[in-house]
Amino acid sequence: MGGFRFLLPLAWRSLWRNPRRTFITMLVVCVGLWSVLTFAVLLRAWSASSRDVAIRTITGEGQIHAQGYLDDPTVAHRLPPPDAGLMAVLNGGAVSAYSARVRLSAIVQSEYKTLPVTLVGVQPAHERQISVLPAQITAGHYLSGPDDVGIVLGSNLARRLKTRVGKRVVVMVQAADGHLAERAFQVVGLFAGPRTAEDEFVFTGLKTAQRFTGIGSDLSEIAFDVSNDAALPGVLAALERAVPGADVQSWKTLEPLSYAVSTFFDQFVLMWLWIIFLLMGFGIVNTQLMAVLERTREFGLLQALGMRPRLVLLEVALESVFLVGLGVALGAAAALATVSAFPKGIDLGFLARGAELAGAGHILYPVIVPSDFVTYSLMVWVLGVLATLWPARRASKVSPVEAMSHI
Amino acid sequence: MTNVVANIVECRGVTKHYRQGAIDVPALRGIDLSIEKGDFASLAGPSGSGKTTLLNIIGGLDRPTQGSVKVDGEELTGLSGEALADLRLTKIGFVFQAYNLIPVLTAEENVEFILQLMGEAPAKRRARAREMLHEVALDGLENRRPARLSGGQQQRVAVARALASRPAIVLADEPTANLDSKTAEDLITLMSHLNQISGVTFLMATHDSRVIARTRRHIVITDGRIASDERRNSAG
Ligand SMILES: Nc1ncnc2c1ncn2[C@@H]1O[C@H](COP(=O)(O)OP(=O)(O)OP(=O)(O)O)[C@@H](O)[C@H]1O
Ligand SMILES: [Mg+2]
Repeated sequence: MGGFRFLLPLAWRSLWRNPRRTFITMLVVCVGLWSVLTFAVLLRAWSASSRDVAIRTITGEGQIHAQGYLDDPTVAHRLPPPDAGLMAVLNGGAVSAYSARVRLSAIVQSEYKTLPVTLVGVQPAHERQISVLPAQITAGHYLSGPDDVGIVLGSNLARRLKTRVGKRVVVMVQAADGHLAERAFQVVGLFAGPRTAEDEFVFTGLKTAQRFTGIGSDLSEIAFDVSNDAALPGVLAALERAVPGADVQSWKTLEPLSYAVSTFFDQFVLMWLWIIFLLMGFGIVNTQLMAVLERTREFGLLQALGMRPRLVLLEVALESVFLVGLGVALGAAAALATVSAFPKGIDLGFLARGAELAGAGHILYPVIVPSDFVTYSLMVWVLGVLATLWPARRASKVSPVEAMSHI
Repeated sequence: MTNVVANIVECRGVTKHYRQGAIDVPALRGIDLSIEKGDFASLAGPSGSGKTTLLNIIGGLDRPTQGSVKVDGEELTGLSGEALADLRLTKIGFVFQAYNLIPVLTAEENVEFILQLMGEAPAKRRARAREMLHEVALDGLENRRPARLSGGQQQRVAVARALASRPAIVLADEPTANLDSKTAEDLITLMSHLNQISGVTFLMATHDSRVIARTRRHIVITDGRIASDERRNSAG
């Protein structure tokens, strides 16, 4: 019903009776929402970055293993080569990429040093789609195919082993027959990545690793990505059906720390929202209460003239809708402008070590998630208007006789 | 003169006591009063005699402690707050001493506001607002806000608003108290004229002898009781 449309000009103009106060309240709402939105964007970027580092280094969005492998990553727990049923899921639309691997605890030895590592046998073409490490070669080159007999080490590991591209290292690993297999590999490339990855992983061709350990065509794990986040549960279920008895897990359980970090950020944004809202709420209630008290006589007049108390309440609420709404619009615009000022991402290189400790990359890519903007803006708007219902109620409770004798 | 005897207002045994802490302040001590349709009446009496209190009770702004009040045939005692608001809107026109108008609305919008509350169609209410402003000789000032109108002009807007809803009675509490004598004279002439041409009933609480001189019915109240009630032919 448009029955109260005539209150709009009254509410709008009443707002500008005291422009200073209106501006200050608007500014409070504007700055409050700006901080919430900017925070949300930055924290989301940080959370996405930490998730990406966790997933893109090597894990993927999910993995399949034989039961027991995660507790004891040795040749004892192997997957058979994928059958037609599994291939159908892996090549289906919901899975965007997958990489089959041999992945075993091993020991690497140079002329100077012996260190524990994880030997990973990969099909380079597939591996490139799951992991960023093949693209981050700092010396030499990456593996050329599953039969490649070279080895790729992390830069930091190479430094610790005092070896370099062209030199040889010896890798020792438990073979299928239970013996300790030993083989020399020529270092063909070095990769850069998170420090822990540089120290842990050494890569060779999938078939080379299978021959080295005597496991035939068996695998240790299949890592996969899904086409979108929403598809993950469905893919996990489909894989469990395709490989009964296998251990199918998502990155959330494979990388529990990163997952916890990413969910913590969401909670943090909500907490911040409430803190800001409480502060803002006090400001808004205070100024609106003052505005209402100053206009006691006017509200008395409106009621004396026959305006129902509920309509008076509505009029004051409309003023808040305008007031808070303007602040919200300005705050959202300011947040948009702030975020758009960094189209190439925010380089945290200057605190790179700190960022890496918290699991994020060097560069944060702030992303404006429209649903965040709309949700948080609407929340601030609705809550802000609700906060002013108390002063509005006071206005509607004004007794006309008393108000009219009050000058 | 009209010879219709229908009473617009009927007060029977109306008393009003205010409580101030432990003290009981009797403001009205038993008022019996009928206002007839078309009356142009003044309510005079010393300060504190109960004029405002009586007007507020007749206008549905306040409730009597005892007694019955009927406006246009409707009994006020027992009406809910909302029903009283509706009664004020449709049956009563108010003119107060000062600060009568909504400051952010123009003269025309102030008049229109009442009609909007009553749910009148836009074209109709705008025409009515213009007509009323014309009646009170404010043509050309329709778009001024109260701050840019003189005291007399503001009171005339208030009169236009009070009449716009075609109320049963216009209650005016010291309408001329804030005006200089020439402006007060103009305002009372205007109200008298409106009473004569449209038959609207007026009841005005006032100290102003010029107002009293122009009314046709003189009610005097002292100490919360009607002291005298006379009808005379208007001097003007
Ligand atoms: N809200 C109130 N609380 C207590 N006493 C009140 C209240 N309003 C009025 N009174 C008292 O009631 C009596 C009548 O007051 P009222 O305002 O009706 O007088 P009045 O005739 O309008 O006076 P004036 O000419 O000064 O306007 C006075 O004694 C006044 O002090
Ligand atoms: Mg009075």
